[in-house]
Amino acid sequence: MTKGIAAPRPSLLHGILSLLVPGLGQFVVGARGRGSAIFASVVVLGGLSAWTISQKARFPDFSLSFVIFAKLVFATGLLLLFLVALRALVSRFILRDASLEAFSAYGMGILYFLALVVAGNQILATAGSAEQLAFVFGGTALFAAGSLAALWLWNVADAARIGGAGLGGHLPSLALPILLVCLLVFSLGYNITRVDLPKAITEYQDISILLPRILWPWRAAFAYDQEVVEETQLIQAPCPDGAIGPPSNEPQAGEPWISATPTCGEVGVRAITGGFEPGTLLTITGGGFVPGQTVNILWKNPIGNAFRPRGVGETEILINENGEFTSQLNIPDVVIPEATASGDQIHTLVVRQEDVEVFGWRFSDDMKLALVGMLETIMMGLMATFFGMILAFPISFLAARNLMAPIVSPLNGIVGGIVGLVAGIWLGSELAGRAAEALGGLANAPIQIFLIGAVLVIGLGYAGLTLAGRLFALMLERLGGAANDTISAILLAAMIAVPGYFLGRGFSRGVMSIVQGADIAAINEQNFAYAGAILLAVLTLLYAFRNRGGRGIPIGSIIYTTTRTILNILRSVEALIYAIIFAIWVGLGPFAGMLALTLHTVASLAKLYSEAIESIEPGPLEALNATGATRLQTIVYAVIPQILPPAISFTVYRWDINVRMSTIIGFVGGGGIGFIMLQWQRLYQWELVGIAVWLIAITVATLDYVSAEIRERTI
Amino acid sequence: MLKVEHLSMVYPDGTIALRDVSFEVKEGEFLGIIGLSGSGKSTLLRCINRLLEPSEGKIIWNGRDITHIDQSELRMVRREIGMVFQQFNLVKRSSVMVNVLSGRLGYTPPSWSLINRFSRADRALAVAALERVGIADKANNRADELSGGQQQRVGIARALMQQPKMILADEPVASLDPVLSHSILGYLEKLNKEDNITVLCSLHFLDLVQRYSTRVIGLRSGKLVFEGGKKDIAEISDSRFKEIYGEEAQRLGVE
Repeated sequence: MTKGIAAPRPSLLHGILSLLVPGLGQFVVGARGRGSAIFASVVVLGGLSAWTISQKARFPDFSLSFVIFAKLVFATGLLLLFLVALRALVSRFILRDASLEAFSAYGMGILYFLALVVAGNQILATAGSAEQLAFVFGGTALFAAGSLAALWLWNVADAARIGGAGLGGHLPSLALPILLVCLLVFSLGYNITRVDLPKAITEYQDISILLPRILWPWRAAFAYDQEVVEETQLIQAPCPDGAIGPPSNEPQAGEPWISATPTCGEVGVRAITGGFEPGTLLTITGGGFVPGQTVNILWKNPIGNAFRPRGVGETEILINENGEFTSQLNIPDVVIPEATASGDQIHTLVVRQEDVEVFGWRFSDDMKLALVGMLETIMMGLMATFFGMILAFPISFLAARNLMAPIVSPLNGIVGGIVGLVAGIWLGSELAGRAAEALGGLANAPIQIFLIGAVLVIGLGYAGLTLAGRLFALMLERLGGAANDTISAILLAAMIAVPGYFLGRGFSRGVMSIVQGADIAAINEQNFAYAGAILLAVLTLLYAFRNRGGRGIPIGSIIYTTTRTILNILRSVEALIYAIIFAIWVGLGPFAGMLALTLHTVASLAKLYSEAIESIEPGPLEALNATGATRLQTIVYAVIPQILPPAISFTVYRWDINVRMSTIIGFVGGGGIGFIMLQWQRLYQWELVGIAVWLIAITVATLDYVSAEIRERTI
Repeated sequence: MLKVEHLSMVYPDGTIALRDVSFEVKEGEFLGIIGLSGSGKSTLLRCINRLLEPSEGKIIWNGRDITHIDQSELRMVRREIGMVFQQFNLVKRSSVMVNVLSGRLGYTPPSWSLINRFSRADRALAVAALERVGIADKANNRADELSGGQQQRVGIARALMQQPKMILADEPVASLDPVLSHSILGYLEKLNKEDNITVLCSLHFLDLVQRYSTRVIGLRSGKLVFEGGKKDIAEISDSRFKEIYGEEAQRLGVE
């Protein structure tokens, strides 16, 4: 740190001014920007801190939290002052030289920070119940207040210094206050985003069961061929005196068999009081099953209903390496229906083995669903990019300043052009309507009708624009002189009055009905509409007359600005939000997602393309202009060759983004893998969610690589 | 053929580029325009075919005032006036052939040219133009594969495609080394003499002006400060020279 030999005396007055109102001292000296910035920072950040506390603590009113925060600032400010004084004293009396410093500014900062940590609870106690405050906002408010106090005190020192030295030299560095502001914002951010590091550790177990299933979900991706072996042994129960029961099966060689002894016994009895007396104990043996896998034992009652017997022995038995097993089972309690209760009751003991053949695997139905969803997602991204590209390309020319700014049209041309454009579009849509009828309605031939409609509307609109513009200009030229400007100005004003009418009505419906209430606004609606029309008409007239005889109306710049504004607005809303709207409009599914992505793609690609156009070399454009080429020709020959590589690159990049976006657009009903994944998540099918995550990751990573490669090659 | 009357040009930012410039060009002349950078040479040339809109004055082309004609009429005039640029202004990524053909756009019906279709006659014309400037073998190369001198020859071929009555050359050799300068100016001279195409050419070096022009005008800070025939240039005195080029200028390269 360098010390001036004759440092000017600090100005007490300016310091006091800034103590009372932060930034005022600086402002008075003449550092207006600095003063205003300090004032704004302190007010905004202080207010935000107090407001955050009030929100967190759910204080009924703001002033309470404001007072608490002010107390905290005051307390921490005193702490800092104490440290500053300490430093001065140490410098003066222990180092015995006022020009020596006890420690650097950074040392001070660390000391202050440590003091805040150590004395935190005591400081909080000065503002309110320490426990309550600590519970509500922990240490963050303390640091917010501490930073604000330091900022405030710095501002006082700064004002005193500037006030003493004047504005002559260069102003002291702003590094410290900027650091303090960052600290303050950080403490607020920590609080507002509810950072809770302990939770991340203590509650890990909640995810620890799911995580493996999500990370390695492939068991659910496959299904296997199964072979079911079922062997039976007939058992008679109850066993009347003298009955011998069905014969016991004999062991078979080379194929599955079971046998049980005895084959005649008593059923178990379950008393109403809850006691249970098991039936006769059967010994079951079997062989010829697949070794190492289990068999299930089922009981089928005399009328053929099978169930798994409970509480009478093992029902799931492991087959030994020879394919055999032995087990014991009591005859379960079987309620024999009255109707069939006569005669011998023959039950069936069933031993069933589901042999899973591991090598006979195929994709499970869920996996197939996920693959279909993924394909849908990729195509959604692709289609959105395609349509977005087609629509964005022409729009981008309207949004390129270098192409649009030179376009200046005389008033006559504009008036005729607007009339021609409106008439052309009207004619085009009428003809398109006829064509639609001839083709049998929109539902019959949608693509043809859309294409024909687009060609007719755009073509006739453009033709009208150019032809009528020229025609009208010619017509007025016949009239000659100053009259024609006046006529066009009046006509333009009349035309602008139409949107003025609707704007006025919109103002009445949108603003006045809120301010005055809907009923009163409805009465005045017409007046507002006329007022809007007259206002815009008069403004147009004024503008037209002021520009009379000039170079004409900068229609290019007007179109450029309008296009850019609309694009910016469209782009600032996420595709996810558009998807919510389109899901209602056209129903859930990939079409809604595609439309949403398309809209966003148009806006962003048009901007990217237009920036590419703006950065072309102007030379070829000028050269072609000089040859007498039309505007369209110069675009095709001088602009497009130049923007092709960046345009391809941007498009591929956008495709990449679109596929990424379309994976989650399903969350709001946009179709694709996200839609399926959300449903699995709601069913807690974590393995399936895992499959979706994997597929998304694989696709996006692949695409990322491919798009990077393509882009590298085109530039 | 071309008459410029009291031409003034003020840029939107207030820079005055031309002040009351008047001169006349006769058919078949090779008019050299001299002056320092920033003296208004480029502005003057661009005002003539209205790439820039002059603020005041008149441009009379073949007896017709073209200062205020509308875009479609202007295109008809522009296609009669070829232009050659200091930076060649070729579309670098397009082939030489397409660059040359694009000089014909003023004559082709827009709808055809938009899908890159030119008539057989136009293509033949392009080949002929390339042959004339000696680079017919490069027709299918990309423009940026050519050297500077070759690119400027493509620029001339493109201007030639317009079958122009006049060529405006804006410092055509300022980006080239001196040997190539003579080659390029030689082509312009040939067009001037053989095809009777009037040439307006702004140049830096006096010796080049002396060698090629039939008449010269000098500009200084947008004002016409010199006008004379071939002899007058040869006899420019030091004081005259300083009038055109300013007090600090040094003569250099004069034979």
